[in-house]
Amino acid sequence: MDDKENPTIVPQTEYSDPDLQRKHSLMLERLSNRHQNRLDNSLRSESESSSFESTSSFLSRFSEMKRSIESQLADSQIAPSDPAQLKIYFEKISASISDLEKLVAENSYFLPSYDVQSSLKTISDLKQTLESLNSQLNPKKKFAFKNKASKKESGFPEFKEPLVSKRTDTSPEKTRLTMRDSPGFRSIVGQVLFKEFRGSEVGEFTISDLDSCEVRLIGSLRVLFVHRLKNCQVYVGPVMGSIHIEEVEGCIFVMASHQIRIHNAKRSDFYLRVRSRPIIEDSNSVRFSPYCLTYEGIEKDLQHASLDNETGNWANVDDFKWLRATQSPNWSLLPENQRIKIVDISTQEIKNDNTQVI
Amino acid sequence: MGLLSIIRKIKRKEKEMRILMVGLDNSGKTTIVLKINGEDTSVISPTLGFNIKTITYQKYTLNIWDVGGQKTIRSYWRNYFEQTDGLIWVVDSSDLRRLDDCKMELDNLLKEERLSGSSLLILANKQDIKGALTPEEIAKVLNLEAMDKSRHWKIVGCSAFTGQGLLEGFDWLVQDIASRIYMLD
Ligand SMILES: Nc1nc2c(ncn2[C@@H]2O[C@H](COP(=O)(O)OP(=O)(O)OP(=O)(O)O)[C@@H](O)[C@H]2O)c(=O)[nH]1
Ligand SMILES: [Mg+2]
Repeated sequence: MDDKENPTIVPQTEYSDPDLQRKHSLMLERLSNRHQNRLDNSLRSESESSSFESTSSFLSRFSEMKRSIESQLADSQIAPSDPAQLKIYFEKISASISDLEKLVAENSYFLPSYDVQSSLKTISDLKQTLESLNSQLNPKKKFAFKNKASKKESGFPEFKEPLVSKRTDTSPEKTRLTMRDSPGFRSIVGQVLFKEFRGSEVGEFTISDLDSCEVRLIGSLRVLFVHRLKNCQVYVGPVMGSIHIEEVEGCIFVMASHQIRIHNAKRSDFYLRVRSRPIIEDSNSVRFSPYCLTYEGIEKDLQHASLDNETGNWANVDDFKWLRATQSPNWSLLPENQRIKIVDISTQEIKNDNTQVI
Repeated sequence: MGLLSIIRKIKRKEKEMRILMVGLDNSGKTTIVLKINGEDTSVISPTLGFNIKTITYQKYTLNIWDVGGQKTIRSYWRNYFEQTDGLIWVVDSSDLRRLDDCKMELDNLLKEERLSGSSLLILANKQDIKGALTPEEIAKVLNLEAMDKSRHWKIVGCSAFTGQGLLEGFDWLVQDIASRIYMLD
């Protein structure tokens, strides 16, 4: 390895100014990290073939393959005129596109979402070009990326009756009627809504169509659905599965969960603890901050739900509508001086007439 | 012999199956794939894009394509239709409100000509949750009886949380595909 890259030979200088001294040691640290990264990368690239672990090497491989496919596509002007050969020719291009797709898949776990999306778009464009070329050159037979035996040439017998699971009855009445409503708070205006899940076997819970309500859910639950809320404050103990939020505006949410999925949210603040990355879709002016809830026994509940550790994921928001490397304009971190204080929902008095407990 | 049939031969020999797994976001697709592969399921983020898992199941190699179901990326599903031997449609049986969405997306998918030859397994997932609809109820809501008669399909209740039902579902799917594709051996 080049000596210039070795951080240990960077001259050790004495600094009288403590500020300079600090900067200097930070620089050393950075250099040393960089060195380590390089080592790691070179080790990795030896042991792995198609998984690059680095965006730039992925991108260069990707564009290389893309160029090759594009030139194959361009060459099709001089493609064989014999239909059988033409088919083979297209099949080959199609196989290259599949390889490209596989490359993206193998590397998608570390790529920035923008790169994944734009790669997918490229692949989809290439496929389209291929399809339209094919219909130009070979208008009669439709080529459809298939390599599966069609029923006729396979000589296999026709499909049997489907192996259907038992059919109960055939009553034509609307299926909706048979559906039960899950437990929850629904269609309420201006109340404090309180529910304690302690001890009972808890499944899913729904809060929907609330306006200007305060919701307090103590204890842990499996699944929470939140739908159509306006100007509400929602305080929730640990959720062991996922929280699914849709159409909320002007709300404050304080919640802990394994997964949090937010859709169509406007002007709302989320105080979260999450094991995976929270996501937003079709949302704007939403802000994020760490979980700040307490009630008697919350530690035990959090622990039981494996949510006792702060993962820092509250700040790692993925915006499915902003697939670029730059920060999404739809969400931000809530400035510390604007955050609410710890909320204690066990001691806060509820002696309002508008209180509903279920 | 054309290249196509050679490819097909090879594929058959290796006993490979391509399985496409789709369904609404939050239905549990990624959890199911990891669970069936014996991996840790405790930290899973919503899927941005897709994952491919290659697993050996009985004497077959399954290439499972797990594609994200968030609204924004549903339009990419069609990129994955080609060469699909088995289709798995995953339903969150506890999400009653979005069953209409679920039905609509499934109906659209089944109109797809490129998927017309694939076996269809519907997993009524999250059966461990109190209040979840049973597979029979889900079948009714999705109106599965109205399905095209030529389609091989089955609905199975399962839980990626406990693992219950997953093997039953995959066993059926793999056997059904095998009986169509690898019948000769
Ligand atoms: N209780 C329970 N929760 C489940 C089950 N399967 C999945 N989950 C939870 O449901 C949530 C969503 O699971 P994922 O596997 O991420 O769902 P997905 O279908 O891959 O979602 P997308 O990637 O957005 O399409 C997670 O919080 C899982 O823990 C199940 O059988 N029972
Ligand atoms: Mg997923």
